[in-house]
Amino acid sequence: MTIENKGGANSFHQPDENFEPYEQHGKMPWPLIAIAIGLGLWGAATLFDTREDVATAQADRTAASQADTGLTTDPGSALFAARCSTCHQPDGMGVRGAIPPLAGSPFVAQGPELVATILMRGIDGPIRVNDHIFNGHMPSFASALTDIEIGALSTHVAQRFGGSSEAYPTTAVAALRAAISDSGSFKGGQDISTITGLDFGNQPAGKAQVAHSLTPEVSALIFTGRGEQWACASCHGDLGQGKENTPRLAGLSADYIVKQLDDFANGRRLNESMRVVVATLSDSEKRQVADYYAGLRVPSTARPELGGDLARGEALALRGDWSRNVPACFSCHGPSGFGVSPEFPPLAAQQAAYTASQLAAWAGGHRNNSSLDLMGRISRQLDDADRRAVADYLASLPPVPAGEAEQIARTGVRP
Amino acid sequence: MNRYFPLSILALAILAFATLMLVIAPGIQIGRHSAPAGLKPYTEQEQRGRDVYVSQGCVYCHSQQPRSPDQAPDGVRGWGRPAVAGDYTYDTPHQLGTMRTGPDLLNVGARLPSRDWHLTHLYQPRAIFGWSIMPAYPFLFEEKSAAGPEDVVVALPSQYAPKSGVVIAKQEALDLTAYLLSLDRTYPAPAEALRDDGYSGPEDAK
Amino acid sequence: MTEPKEAPEAKPADINKGLLTRWWIHAAGAVLIAVAVGALAYESGFVPNRETVQSASQTTADGFFQPPSDDQIPNDEFGAAVRRGQAIFTNTSTNASQYVGNGLSCSNCHLGAGRQPFSAPMWAAWVQYPKYRSKNKQINTMEDRVKGCFSYSMNAQHSIKGGPPPAGDDIYRDLQTYMYWLATGAPTNEAIKGVGFGKVAKTELGYSPERGAEVFAANCAVCHGGDGQGQKDINGRYVFPPLWGENSYNWGAGMARIDTAAAFIKHNMPLSQPGRLTDQEAWDVAAYIDSFERPKDPRQKGKTIEETRKQYHEGDQIYYGQTVNGVLLGVGTPDPERPVGAGD
Repeated sequence: MTIENKGGANSFHQPDENFEPYEQHGKMPWPLIAIAIGLGLWGAATLFDTREDVATAQADRTAASQADTGLTTDPGSALFAARCSTCHQPDGMGVRGAIPPLAGSPFVAQGPELVATILMRGIDGPIRVNDHIFNGHMPSFASALTDIEIGALSTHVAQRFGGSSEAYPTTAVAALRAAISDSGSFKGGQDISTITGLDFGNQPAGKAQVAHSLTPEVSALIFTGRGEQWACASCHGDLGQGKENTPRLAGLSADYIVKQLDDFANGRRLNESMRVVVATLSDSEKRQVADYYAGLRVPSTARPELGGDLARGEALALRGDWSRNVPACFSCHGPSGFGVSPEFPPLAAQQAAYTASQLAAWAGGHRNNSSLDLMGRISRQLDDADRRAVADYLASLPPVPAGEAEQIARTGVRP
Repeated sequence: MNRYFPLSILALAILAFATLMLVIAPGIQIGRHSAPAGLKPYTEQEQRGRDVYVSQGCVYCHSQQPRSPDQAPDGVRGWGRPAVAGDYTYDTPHQLGTMRTGPDLLNVGARLPSRDWHLTHLYQPRAIFGWSIMPAYPFLFEEKSAAGPEDVVVALPSQYAPKSGVVIAKQEALDLTAYLLSLDRTYPAPAEALRDDGYSGPEDAK
Repeated sequence: MTEPKEAPEAKPADINKGLLTRWWIHAAGAVLIAVAVGALAYESGFVPNRETVQSASQTTADGFFQPPSDDQIPNDEFGAAVRRGQAIFTNTSTNASQYVGNGLSCSNCHLGAGRQPFSAPMWAAWVQYPKYRSKNKQINTMEDRVKGCFSYSMNAQHSIKGGPPPAGDDIYRDLQTYMYWLATGAPTNEAIKGVGFGKVAKTELGYSPERGAEVFAANCAVCHGGDGQGQKDINGRYVFPPLWGENSYNWGAGMARIDTAAAFIKHNMPLSQPGRLTDQEAWDVAAYIDSFERPKDPRQKGKTIEETRKQYHEGDQIYYGQTVNGVLLGVGTPDPERPVGAGD
């Protein structure tokens, strides 16, 4: 279609009034071609890049679904490293005066079924392991681990530390889970002896749990609301488990909760809904509500859901990132994220979106109630990916075992 | 203009190609997927509430499509995981929205599960958020001198409460709230779900 | 003829304008191509990014030596010893249970499991020994040095065995293997940045436990407790170490000297906010912490406090053997009824 002798006037018909000027095909200027080529290259590069991402995403999803079904290699030892070693230590030796050793423990020597039972129920109370009495709290992993994971983990623990050769099948875990669903934690070594009928020597007796009683007024505050105050449970859930960026309250220390309520009132924490609520609460009501939530021992509903890098989250929680002056979360919040009252709340099993949003709030200056601005300084050193990573990791942990008053929690019934 | 025929053919071809790639192919892709296991159909009341949502034009300010972390910090805001196609199985038409004058609402029922909170907030957003620019919807409520046995009373700070009597939620308000509370897509996205693959692996996340 | 002539004269300006526009279009095209090619090169890894450059070097951005990370511990017998050593280092009271008479771990003062600069990092210590120490007036091997840690900082006199691990014990082997591994690639026989606790400049005011009490209440009590006894989690495990009293280091420890404590505090405390305290505050709070009674100096055996002070603490900045607020310091906290960590 190129008109060859473009300049030669003679080759054209003489124009007349009806003549439609012929649209010549002009040569495209080279910059346009260059732009097209440039954009094309750019597009190709992006496509190439995304193609890898899509493949990675697919692989990650497959890996995640495989992890759900427990198909990773040597799941038991990986689970032990991830779930048990912060307390019982990588070598299973425990911590003197605080955490019982697994190696040489008569309970572990009983085989994987008892290990699985303890994993699912947890222990609140004194237990004698060899020569030492430990008076502590082991969380229930029932809500944090699947049947397959509990099977693999109890098999691994019993084989590595108890000399067992038995493999504990997933079906048995499922049956066990159904059998002990609402039984609550063991009250100590003697309770384990009594319930299982096994002899573990002279075991200390645990304290009988006292049912927490709520006054009708406080019960109304929590479950039905009052005047201009919405019920606590209407957002935080009947058992204080929280959801998304509404925090889990179950198992937080009462002193911590009271301090936060006060800080909502005095503006050191900015949350409009909570400010409306606390304006109606008296000091004594704050304390009673806090006591109620502090005493709840309920399963975790938190899950990693922010797409964070769990390995990075674990590294931050356990070791920190000293290159940025970020100490390990656990160096202040306790070795399993159980918290140290009242300044360092439990982090384990907290809703991921809440943890991440609070870190962002500290970094952005919307939350200012940390002593010495510890959390403000630390949060500003973390980037968005770090915040999601650490929040997701903490959400994957078993909930903090709370002391008293677990009976409300166990039955899960409004008084 | 003297080559109408090739021009129209080209235009039609482009249109056909676009329809194929942007409408038919995605349609087939979506059609292959069923509703995610965690997603429940709307109840009658929720459906009515959805109609209120549509009629009040909520979509003009509220989206219903949380983004992936690479695109926006929606997860950290508590707006939920990135949406997948299956999340909208029962939404016809969907209320995706494009404006985010207000927050995304696809998971508002998860992060704000309190009916009473929503009633207060719909009646007068500034009773909670002094800076809110959301319109109030007092016409979904009525004032009464005393609440009847079936009436749902709205909790209000004194400065927004009527001088005497109480504020009662009309059926529309209750329906709308029921719909909002049903917006909870926090179940895990199915592994094979259709989703935006603008994805960063762990390497990129660093 | 004059009129048509004017038109061509007007032309050059138009042409220039057109040329200029064209030039801009060309430039834009060239920039786009450059961006596209650059993006391609970056994506395909022809341009090294920052992270690969950083990991190739052995120093941090601040010029401190960088020890290897935990995932680089080899999976062989050597690596197993490194892991055992690390376990002793971070959980001393359990993994060296027989020889620890208080509530501390090595990693309480050697932060980051012995990695943190100016927190007496192990990679720096490893390349300093054997060395002559005036503390015991002889050449010290690393084992001698660690033995000193057990005797003083870990207060081994109250432990089950009543003293530090015997010479040649596996505890020393494993700890030294861990240190050796941390020092992988560290320069020897030269000053290494970040060694020890660093120094704090002397201040005009000197130090005062009274001023230190205020600094402590404002900056330290939130973690270490108002009574300095640390804090435990619900399992009774120390999260924050005790700073004085029977569960802390004894009078023979380096940290009982105010200058040492001040340097540690200045460079490391509060955790995550090094340098928050002024030099003056660091001196004062160190004086405050070290003005409380703690387990006695194990070298005192059979001697009076004054004799011990003259022999071992003369010239040191320490309250040992001095009277503070009417109380003679150095007497030591009472011996426990049973050794710390003995069975029930």
